[in-house]
Amino acid sequence: MAEFWNGYLLPGILILAQILVLVVPLLLAVAYLTLMERKVLAAMQLRMGPNVVGPFGLFQPWADAVKLMFKEPILPTGANKVVFVIAPMITFILALIAWAVIPLGTGLVIANINVGILYLFAISSLGVYGIIMAGWASNSRYAFLGALRSSAQMVSYEVSMGFVIITVLLLVGSLNLGHIVEAQHGGFWKWHWVPLFPMFIVFFISALAETNRHPFDLPEAEAELVAGYQVEYSSMSFALFFLGEYANMILMSAMTAILFMGGWLPPFEFGPTAGVLGALWGFFWFFLKIFVLLFVFIWIRATLPRYRYDQLMRIGWKVFLPLSLIYLVIVAGFVTYWPR
Amino acid sequence: MFVAKDLAPLVPELFVAVSAMVLLLYGVFAKGNPTRTVVWASVLVLVVALVLVWQVPAGRQAVLSGMFVTDSFTAVMKSLVLIGSAVSLVLSVGFIRQEEMERFEFPVLLLLATVGMMMMVSANDLISLYVGLELQSLALYVVAAFRRDSERSTEAGLKYFVLGALSSGMLLYGASLIYGFAGSTNFTDLAKLFAGGHGHVSVGLVVGIVFLAAGLAFKVSAVPFHMWTPDVYEGAPTAVTAFFASAPKVAAMALFVRAIISPFGALVAEWQQIIILLAGASMLLGAFAAIWQKNIKRLMAYSSIGHVGFALVGLAAGTSEGVRGVVVYMAVYLAMTLGTFACILAMRQKNGLVEGIDDLAGLARTQPGMAFALAVFMFSLAGVPPLAGFFGKFYVFMAAINAKLYVLSVIGVLSSVVGAFYYLRIVKIMYFDAPGEPFLHPMPRELGVVAAVASLFTLLFVVFPMPILNGAAMAAKALFP
Amino acid sequence: MIVQAIAFYLFAAVTVGSAFLVITAKNPVHSVLFLILAFFNAAALFVLMGAEFIAMILVIVYVGAVAVLFLFVVMMLDINFVELRQGFQQYLPFGLLIGAILLVELILILAGSIAAPDALAPAASPAPSLDQVTNTHALGAVLYTKYIYLFQGAGLVLLVAMIGAIVLTHRKREGVKKQDSFAQFARRREEAVELKKVEPGQGIQ
Repeated sequence: MAEFWNGYLLPGILILAQILVLVVPLLLAVAYLTLMERKVLAAMQLRMGPNVVGPFGLFQPWADAVKLMFKEPILPTGANKVVFVIAPMITFILALIAWAVIPLGTGLVIANINVGILYLFAISSLGVYGIIMAGWASNSRYAFLGALRSSAQMVSYEVSMGFVIITVLLLVGSLNLGHIVEAQHGGFWKWHWVPLFPMFIVFFISALAETNRHPFDLPEAEAELVAGYQVEYSSMSFALFFLGEYANMILMSAMTAILFMGGWLPPFEFGPTAGVLGALWGFFWFFLKIFVLLFVFIWIRATLPRYRYDQLMRIGWKVFLPLSLIYLVIVAGFVTYWPR
Repeated sequence: MFVAKDLAPLVPELFVAVSAMVLLLYGVFAKGNPTRTVVWASVLVLVVALVLVWQVPAGRQAVLSGMFVTDSFTAVMKSLVLIGSAVSLVLSVGFIRQEEMERFEFPVLLLLATVGMMMMVSANDLISLYVGLELQSLALYVVAAFRRDSERSTEAGLKYFVLGALSSGMLLYGASLIYGFAGSTNFTDLAKLFAGGHGHVSVGLVVGIVFLAAGLAFKVSAVPFHMWTPDVYEGAPTAVTAFFASAPKVAAMALFVRAIISPFGALVAEWQQIIILLAGASMLLGAFAAIWQKNIKRLMAYSSIGHVGFALVGLAAGTSEGVRGVVVYMAVYLAMTLGTFACILAMRQKNGLVEGIDDLAGLARTQPGMAFALAVFMFSLAGVPPLAGFFGKFYVFMAAINAKLYVLSVIGVLSSVVGAFYYLRIVKIMYFDAPGEPFLHPMPRELGVVAAVASLFTLLFVVFPMPILNGAAMAAKALFP
Repeated sequence: MIVQAIAFYLFAAVTVGSAFLVITAKNPVHSVLFLILAFFNAAALFVLMGAEFIAMILVIVYVGAVAVLFLFVVMMLDINFVELRQGFQQYLPFGLLIGAILLVELILILAGSIAAPDALAPAASPAPSLDQVTNTHALGAVLYTKYIYLFQGAGLVLLVAMIGAIVLTHRKREGVKKQDSFAQFARRREEAVELKKVEPGQGIQ
């Protein structure tokens, strides 16, 4: 019995607790990210934004959640029921399980696996299934068109993202996310965005495309596809897509922060490095970086018009892919002939 | 680990592969239609590669962790492959211009297929065998469907692709069984394992060899894995058919011989019956099924099935003499096939190419030169002495008789008698039937040259057989250390 | 260890089950989705074996890219399955017979000699322990040295596949307007806009 308790139950409970500690704040962050987006957009467009529910509209996300929960879930008659229901779940689950390998500080990670970055890449490449399944199962032309666009777009941008990740891998020599962050020790000029500046830009733009955000939000283009793959969804199934999209934004920001902006490392070597204080200090910087990147996401949405589909494909295949390939060769040359 | 020295035997392959990529880039960026330039440049590349093949370090060299081997067998077979590819390219020059196939990817794909064939010939490991085979096959599937607006061409490509994928599956299954039961994929290691014939051979290994042989038999189109051949030969553009019938056949046969003899040479008793069956069935089917053909490309397909059967007789003997027979046979077969296709490609009337056998009627009166050349090839294909085809058959049957394969030899002789019927029928149609619509007169110069050289080779083989015979003997010796 | 065992049987069972559903599902899209599920569970089995790199690559390449395009095509195809299955009944007994014969033969052969006594002992080839070398390092160390020939050969195969796909599908269409972004950027204000002074009631000449 003791063996069962020590060997299985205790670690099980521990892991469960870790997951809850990570996921609950994450969902809160997602909820307030929607509010932040509306507020920032409003500010940029000289409006007030939501300000009725609670002080400064702070309870708006809760109101939205309650509203969505009480809406009627609609299953279209022509829909492929099982796939239709599974699709939003897949989107949402994928957005959450990726966080298992994101390190929040030295050793502060649920699963410290050797191929962490590949895991993230794999999970983000699966994101397309939620969309394509939703589009097909809806049995609607708009939804299907959105799904087709989305799958082509995500597959195209994954290619150059993969090459960007390889350049980081070449500099670090490990696929472990913790090692990647630690390799950037020593102030913000040691972060990877300096040697890999073009790749940093490529990665961020690809992240926009991977999350189907503006200016690459063709899959859901309200103007032409009336919200694309989401058009037939309502109630909580719609809410899951919505939450998934925003969770993916946070995930992509976290990835960018880890790969190029030193993760939890402060920009100058100061402040506590060990103990609880050190962990909190690390949290602070990590969250600040994610926050800044999310702000850029929203800023871009407020600023740029939507790309045309052929322009999107041209950038992906004719600009980013050759650029990242060439840069990969250059980085490999530097690593070989000027080892650190 | 590899070093520069390891790459020396690889120079011809590297040269062809790099040139193919350079030509691809040139084709993409050149102004206008670069096809003609790329075709002739590709021919030049193949000729240079032919020189390079004989410049690699002499003797047996197994490099790159034993996956790639060069010896006199590979040198001879690669030379045949390169000649086959280069001549097919020359034959295709006029064809691709007239049939709206003039795109620079065609020669580039042929070059890459040639790299695959050279890799096949030099394979010394089941994995490198597979990689080379796939490189060649994939390029062939594409060129079979190259005229993508023609239904027949796309059908041929698709059929070839689907059946080719199936045969690759069989081959891989056999290879994995062999690996599982023997513990190595390397031919040299396998040969060491079986040398001396100690211990029993597990049944699983034999099944593996059977599957491997089935996969390879598909690639050389031996009965009962021949079904794709007539349809693909008929459907593919004629210049592509000429290519299919020449270089890939030689390469696949070389691969067949090496993959059977080199690792499993000591297990003759286990695989001999398979090869005997393949050879006998191919000879018989090649002889009988061709009788009723009206389309000359289809006829050549059945003819090639039959000739593969004859060549396999040499392999069935399992001796050095037999392998020498195979090499001689493939050299002779290459010359006859290329010459025949040079004539077929010249069968152009006002409304385009024709492929019916009856269209040859009275050719002797309208174009005596072409008729004579075609007659020489037909006599030689039938195995009439003293033409080259006779000697090809002679050496394989000698080997078979020395290996006491009497039944197989009798089947071979009988089926060549039957085969002679339809070859001679063509000669009869050309010389004794009333002429129909004549072909557009002058045979294009490159076709004429190829036909003339090939018919000279076929005619004069009896006078100067020694270079070929010595080369073949040298090649065969390399497989039996 | 019991957790690993349970996980193994779970993933293995799902893999086999979904593989079976791939060939029996009525709807082709469902078939592809089950195929993806099978890939996914195969990746999980790789993780259980300690082959984490292969597992991730399996997910990224097969699930993330190949299967997406496959699904893409299958969704767009308009296949009438009733028609497709018409010949099926007719050939079923024949196919089953051949399959059964082959299966029996293979079982007879393999059952008699599972342990190959004359094998060259491939297991003896030294595989470093998982705690010393990561998967990625171990693969990288042989892939670009010992197996460089096969690696480059496979690269050539992919090149041929790419050329083939382009040759067989790419068509130059005439009369299609193409965007020339350099020309757009190079355009100056003077070429595009002309300022005119418009007098009241006159209009532009």
